[in-house]
Amino acid sequence: MAKQAVLIVDDEKNIRLTLSQTLESPDMEVDTAVNGEEALVKLQEKDFGLVLLDLKMPGMDGMDVLRWISENRPDVRVIIITAHGTVDSAVEAMKRGAVDYIQKPFVPKEIREIVSRVMDRRTLEAQTAQDYDGWMEMARKCVNERRFDVAAEYVRKAMRRDPSRAEAFNFLGALLEIQGDRVGAQKNYRAALSLDPTYTPAQENLYRSTKARPGGEVIFGGPGRTE
Amino acid sequence: MNTGKGLFIIVVGCGRLGSYLADKFSGAGAGVVVVDREERAFESLSTEFGGFKVEGDATEFAVLKQARIAKADVVIGATHDDNVNMMIAQIARKVFLVPTVIARVQEPRRINLCQALAIDSICPTAIAGDLVLKTLEQASEKGQDGGHR
Repeated sequence: MAKQAVLIVDDEKNIRLTLSQTLESPDMEVDTAVNGEEALVKLQEKDFGLVLLDLKMPGMDGMDVLRWISENRPDVRVIIITAHGTVDSAVEAMKRGAVDYIQKPFVPKEIREIVSRVMDRRTLEAQTAQDYDGWMEMARKCVNERRFDVAAEYVRKAMRRDPSRAEAFNFLGALLEIQGDRVGAQKNYRAALSLDPTYTPAQENLYRSTKARPGGEVIFGGPGRTE
Repeated sequence: MNTGKGLFIIVVGCGRLGSYLADKFSGAGAGVVVVDREERAFESLSTEFGGFKVEGDATEFAVLKQARIAKADVVIGATHDDNVNMMIAQIARKVFLVPTVIARVQEPRRINLCQALAIDSICPTAIAGDLVLKTLEQASEKGQDGGHR
């Protein structure tokens, strides 16, 4: 099995040291970055599967790095490093795409468990999400986790597998609408309807979003034709 | 030394013994938290120390929780106060069910008390005293064997 590459981003030396020591193993390749800027350079140089990220850093902070990852490398998993009593900011980061958080002081066993859980999930995703249905399933899961950026990336992957499905266009439209891009959303609802004029979720979404006062529920819809 | 690798160890008291142990455990790859009331005490740690420092009174629940005592594999009471060390060891054992707790006690009479409380204890006074007795014993044996007086 290929080595899993992990990047630890923290400005504190003891955190980098502890985490590196804890994660050191024959099947794990650990690298470190002292700030957000260095992290971005390393992320562009190498294919890291996982990033352990501190939120508070001088200069480019963890939220900025997280934003960059969500936009440019949504396949990279991010675990937030958080201090005692600052779980709120970690929760905020999870809303923006981080998958989990670890609390200082670190408990070695806990770190290894979280990291291997996230890595296993990633491997499983890579194995299962090969076809259209697999990618759409992943997208639905991400919506449940409110990771809309990542969900959109999965829908685009599903579309590349099968560009003839109204469901995927409607789904992407719904994601864009939730993120505030109403025009982009409408384009996708229309694309869905041009593929399948009877696809009700897209009809309803388009009707609702083009009303003078848009409101009501965004419909992600299900697979196939609907009544 | 690899003692403690992979374990989560809390050392209470960052004096000579506490800082020595914290450095050793950290160097061995353990997760280490060292607790002391005085921030200055942390200066005794080496620059290579890779663990965490919690400033506060370890007889307070909030401080122990901040050190994440509930997750600890080992808790060591190494303050200069025997009673504090025994109390922390008891809290760790009885309340947080920490598998291994060790209290450093200076007063040899407290060793029995620790045993009664099911706490492992280390008494430097007794250890040093026993060594002195043993050295004297060996010296006297040598004397009887015809060695120098």
